Amino acid sequence: MQLAPLPVVVPLAVAAALAIIGKHLHRRIVDSISIATSAAVVIISITLTFQSANGAIVYWFGNWQPLAKSHFPIGICFAIDPIGAGLSSLAALLVLAAFTFSWSYFESVGALYHVLMLVFLAAMCGLALTGDLFNMFVWLEVMTAVGVALCGYKSEQSQSLQGALNFAVVNTIGAFLSLMGVALLYGATGSLNLAEVGRTLAAGHFSQGFVTVALLLVTAGFLVKSATFPFHFWLADAHAVAPTPVCILFSGVMVELGLYAIGRIYWVVFAQSAQPAPQTIRDVFLLMGSLTAVVGALYCFGQRHLKRLLAFSTISHVGIMLIAFSLLNPRALAGMALYLAGHGLIKAALFIGAGILLHRFGSLDEYDLQRSIAKRLAPIGVLMVLGAWGLAGLPPFATFFGEMRIDEIGSQQHLTWLPAITIFAEALTAAAVLRFTARVFFGVGRQGKSMVSAGAPHLHTDAETSGQHSRVPAFMWVPMAALIIGAALIAVPLRGPVETAAKHFESAPLYDAAVLRINAQTAAPRPYDRPFEAHGESEWWIPLLVALATLGAAAASLFPKSPRTAFARPIGAVLSKTVLELRRFQSGRVGDYVAWFAFGIAAYGSLLLLLH
Amino acid sequence: MRRSWRMLLFFAGAAGIVCLFTLAAEPISQPRDVRNRYATAIISETFSQRNITDAVSAVNFDFRGFDTVGEEFILFVSVLGSLVLLRMVEDRKGKVLRDALEPWRDVGPSDAIRLWILAMIAPKVTFGIYIVTHGQLTPGGGFQGGVILATAALILYLGEGFTVFRDVISHPATEIVEGAGALGFVVIGMLAWVWGQPFLTNVLPLGKAHELTSGGTMALISISTGLEVAAGFILLLYAFLQENLSPVEET
Repeated sequence: MQLAPLPVVVPLAVAAALAIIGKHLHRRIVDSISIATSAAVVIISITLTFQSANGAIVYWFGNWQPLAKSHFPIGICFAIDPIGAGLSSLAALLVLAAFTFSWSYFESVGALYHVLMLVFLAAMCGLALTGDLFNMFVWLEVMTAVGVALCGYKSEQSQSLQGALNFAVVNTIGAFLSLMGVALLYGATGSLNLAEVGRTLAAGHFSQGFVTVALLLVTAGFLVKSATFPFHFWLADAHAVAPTPVCILFSGVMVELGLYAIGRIYWVVFAQSAQPAPQTIRDVFLLMGSLTAVVGALYCFGQRHLKRLLAFSTISHVGIMLIAFSLLNPRALAGMALYLAGHGLIKAALFIGAGILLHRFGSLDEYDLQRSIAKRLAPIGVLMVLGAWGLAGLPPFATFFGEMRIDEIGSQQHLTWLPAITIFAEALTAAAVLRFTARVFFGVGRQGKSMVSAGAPHLHTDAETSGQHSRVPAFMWVPMAALIIGAALIAVPLRGPVETAAKHFESAPLYDAAVLRINAQTAAPRPYDRPFEAHGESEWWIPLLVALATLGAAAASLFPKSPRTAFARPIGAVLSKTVLELRRFQSGRVGDYVAWFAFGIAAYGSLLLLLH
Repeated sequence: MRRSWRMLLFFAGAAGIVCLFTLAAEPISQPRDVRNRYATAIISETFSQRNITDAVSAVNFDFRGFDTVGEEFILFVSVLGSLVLLRMVEDRKGKVLRDALEPWRDVGPSDAIRLWILAMIAPKVTFGIYIVTHGQLTPGGGFQGGVILATAALILYLGEGFTVFRDVISHPATEIVEGAGALGFVVIGMLAWVWGQPFLTNVLPLGKAHELTSGGTMALISISTGLEVAAGFILLLYAFLQENLSPVEET
């Protein structure tokens, strides 16, 4: 039996069937069908991950194999490697968690919610598994179309529509540039297959400018999807209004899929041609990642609305993962994969925590909730603290092993300032979650205005369930606990395999050989070596510093008047000023976001050209 | 952000993007045999292996049919998404609703216009079905034909107003057709899978060139796409027309 197409085809078929008959089925039956479907996709994707560990699985749709003589591909293929299949497993797992969570939550309009979620799952799997440039774009578009609908699901509130509108406009403009990039590459190489485009680019004589512009345009849509600075504004607006199960998917895996696509496209299409120079790619993407990590962390720490806070933390962590990609090293990429898996699971768990608060109290505001201290939710509070621990990249979570690899390669490439960025981002995001949890779940800390949150607009979130609930259903806390435990358990067994997978991911000749059925030895059209391939020393002191900084920042914001936190007051003053300045840019106006988008693309494009 | 700053930021960025585009003229200078090799390969494959005469439909529904699955679902979820975003808000439920344009209808349109419009429906439906079913022979296919079919419903609304439109075209039935169209595509693809062939393999007899039955699964996929597109557009029409409704004030 061929498993390869099933992660996409099964959810699509079930979604279409539910669109027809879902209205007449009991809500519980629709729930069960959805849970069973996503569980099946989890199993299929994990099986594919194991199968592809022995070599990429290449699956030609419609049985259109590459032409016999010229090896020229005329169909669309899935080229499944462990990293792609692993991402598809993560996506399915989070959809499963989201469906489980929404069992006792959330009133559905017919079965529309389930239909949209299942199509979303199919699109994410499609993007992770495909080996075709245009097919990538198609799944990106499906993700946007579904994402907008899910984001505005509570359409009776005007903020929901506003968030969905910002999502739609910014992502569509990004996707439009991606489409132009695809068109450029097709126009120049006559192919849409990733491997074939890469080989033609490497073999032909293309100008530096053309290849750079093509790279920039193709990745533009994915940079928006992955909420890179300054294309990140839509993400927080969308998260603040989207229903909790949808936030789980947005933060846990959709945003990361944008990064995956950038990595896949770069390594298969552009790396072989060595245009733009790897050094340039590293510098520009390092800059993008660092800006994203720092800005996201600042915003995150200044938030008191939990969903927004978590959304900005996602932006910050995306920055760290983008830094990992920019190091262009297989070990850093393995670190990125570990970080991505750990972050996805932890962030999903934290969003479930937010959903539990909404279910119980109908609010997500730190100060509102502090008054109705959620003491009886202490076990959930413990899980939230563990989540903050994971966000800080501390053992035993997968994020720890990821971060260690990233820092190791960073120091090996003499980027002495890099630890400052990762420590700053991880400590502030973890401290923000810790501060929120301490206030809301344990009643620690001063009531009212803290130093950073002063002047925060009061955000009101309407409850997603009706009535007050006195206990937390098992359908909510079980997935939350399972995700947190999973983020710790996967770390050690994944370490070894992910290194091998990352090496293969970064080897275009191996990929081309598998897809186009050509000899791996002769596959490379020109001598091809990876410039940054080396190991470094383990930087064990970084997690220690992160832990200290996290505790310090959380304590300083909880007890701003205490003499013991006097050390942090000058830093706090600077931070809160910066946050207030930054907040003015998060205006919620889509026109502003589009202006930032245009500026960002032009700026990164110029840098890619000028740094050569 | 102040308006002037926004404008400055945007135009600086836009100017930069325009400059970047000037660097992207490269494909034109590439040799034709490289640029055109996909078209060359497809044209030779289409006629020799698929017995059909429209290469574009062959790319859409066979060679790159998997893209079309995704595209069909973009339309599918966009329609469902619009239904979600435009769904009736609570305060209008259970009230007698009337088209906001209805008062205007007290005077017109004239019977001549109504007759003319209604007379156009049958040709439109016929033409739509023709375009849907001849995708593999002439330019056209499910997407184009589906839109033409949906305009028949629009014509009905223009001639007779929302009430008649709602009575003639059942909303639940349209929803079922839309889902069936989307499901149909996936099921046709799975036919091959059940027989151990890759998804979307053209397993049906390919027929004779220039005949309606040529192209194997292509014709079926075209029809199911046509159903999905036509029903999807009618649902959109429904959703937007319902936005026009307002509760009748009790006097």
